[in-house]
Amino acid sequence: MAPKIEASAGGMEHGKMLAIGLIGALICIYLVYLNTLMSTQVFAFFGGLAAVIALWWGTDSIKKLCSYGLGTGVPSAGMIALGSGVVAMLFATKLAVISPLLVPIGCVVVAAILGAILGFISDKVLNMNIPVMTRMIAELTVVGSLTMLGFTAMVAGTFSFGSLILGSISVMGLAIPSYAASVIGGCVIATIFMLGAIAIQHPFNACLGPNESWDRTQMCALECGFLSMITVAIMSIVFLSFIAVVISFVVSIILWGWSYSELIKLSKRDAFAWLDVKPIREVGGEQ
Amino acid sequence: MENLLFGIGISALAGALATVAGAAEDTESDIGSQGDPNSQVQLAPQMGYIHRIYNKAISGEPPAYGLWVALAAGIAWALMAIQYNAILALIVGSSVAVFVQGVYATTAYLGRTASLAKFEQPVYIDVLKSVTTVTMAHAFVAVFTTVTMCFLMIEALGHPFPLPLMGIVWGIALGAAGSATGNPFYGKERQYQNYPFGAGLPISASGDIVRYAEAGQRSSLDNGWFTSKGAGPASGICFGLIVFFELWRTVLFEPLVAGWGGVIAGAVLIIVFMVIDRFVETWARKTYGPYTKETEEEATT
Repeated sequence: MAPKIEASAGGMEHGKMLAIGLIGALICIYLVYLNTLMSTQVFAFFGGLAAVIALWWGTDSIKKLCSYGLGTGVPSAGMIALGSGVVAMLFATKLAVISPLLVPIGCVVVAAILGAILGFISDKVLNMNIPVMTRMIAELTVVGSLTMLGFTAMVAGTFSFGSLILGSISVMGLAIPSYAASVIGGCVIATIFMLGAIAIQHPFNACLGPNESWDRTQMCALECGFLSMITVAIMSIVFLSFIAVVISFVVSIILWGWSYSELIKLSKRDAFAWLDVKPIREVGGEQ
Repeated sequence: MENLLFGIGISALAGALATVAGAAEDTESDIGSQGDPNSQVQLAPQMGYIHRIYNKAISGEPPAYGLWVALAAGIAWALMAIQYNAILALIVGSSVAVFVQGVYATTAYLGRTASLAKFEQPVYIDVLKSVTTVTMAHAFVAVFTTVTMCFLMIEALGHPFPLPLMGIVWGIALGAAGSATGNPFYGKERQYQNYPFGAGLPISASGDIVRYAEAGQRSSLDNGWFTSKGAGPASGICFGLIVFFELWRTVLFEPLVAGWGGVIAGAVLIIVFMVIDRFVETWARKTYGPYTKETEEEATT
């Protein structure tokens, strides 16, 4: 069995983070459905918030998984999370045929089953022998699928498969339905995939070290999420009304600015010293 | 015939863009110490060697460039879909991607350095300010040329993939080319130029990276100067050849054998390169051999 290295002590209990992440992300994704109920598009940004909450929880899952000496495995954990998550998410969007309200909850259930199978294979069949492997891969798959679903809902304003494969291009002022101009047909989903995959692994990868602290890593997770939201808001210009895009963009910019300045404050707090144009301090080592 | 010439011309242009992209990508990653050289930059303070080298730990280069290029392509695709001018869309897309890259770079440097407080490694704000902008500039060149290359493949050669998907594929290929070709020059030799060439890395030397320059202290910008002379162009040639051969074989041989011509030509190319690689490897082993301690020559009068 791989030895366990305790990452940061303290901070919130993982179970509590799981509950907040799962319930918070689900509520935010359901709030996007207000778009359909009220025939508007201004609630799209809730999808981005859902993704950020999921990423916040997923960062802690990656930390738990990677405390078993998986230094270079941190980015790989992010890739498997989003890679398996996209399968669950695409499957779940198909459930909109029965009822759109089934999509978010179906996404979680399918992702959990898929993740448990993948985790079992990595742990028992590939014999990695990490005690938390099955659970954390399952959690990461759920996080990955919720991130994908959240950002997709933000870019398209909806999460039913039918709308994701139907875009429209305007020719001489006429809107013509087109698969190539849709979220899936135009492969905006590929960009969303990479945004999520880097954002989920970056916080712990960037903050790892002996003085890693819980609040700084989690603030970095929020920062990565909000930064991704800004770019998703720009891409939503194809699918949403101008007002909806502006609302998404402004919300993302404000939240990102707040989280980035908080992150710098926390880094200043944790750093050994904060120097400007100063030479190397020699502390030892062979000269 | 005219179509064929047009196709070859586009292949050459795409290959040239890719060469620039590869050179800029490797210079960017070496300035930030991303990928392979990063582990020693991270390790140095733990062994008591405080340094002023940038620590840009954003996953490996292939996934990171997968994101920057896919993001630039995604935004360019979106702007083009609402009838923006294509060139403008590509520039705006690349700019937004480079903004994201810069933010990720600062959080990586601050995060990694703050977490090393136990070993008394301070955060040098001037390093953050001067180096981040330089990596962003190089990243812009790499991302813009790659996205333009993808755009050319779709518009001029009729590739069926949408722009963001092309971006993800070629972004990962770009990062992989730079990471595999360019990084060893910096990570395995320049960081350890105090030790004899080809000496490998004994455990006792771990973390003892070069921290002082000819005058003053080594900055990550010096790595940019060094990389642009050797490793950068090497990565550029690598990525340029990948793109050129990939397009060249498709343009020229695809009409043959019911579409299988391109596949067969690709397989032949791989075999030819395997033979060349094997030859270079055995030649290098024979010529330089394993590292041996230098025998001291006696001074003759």
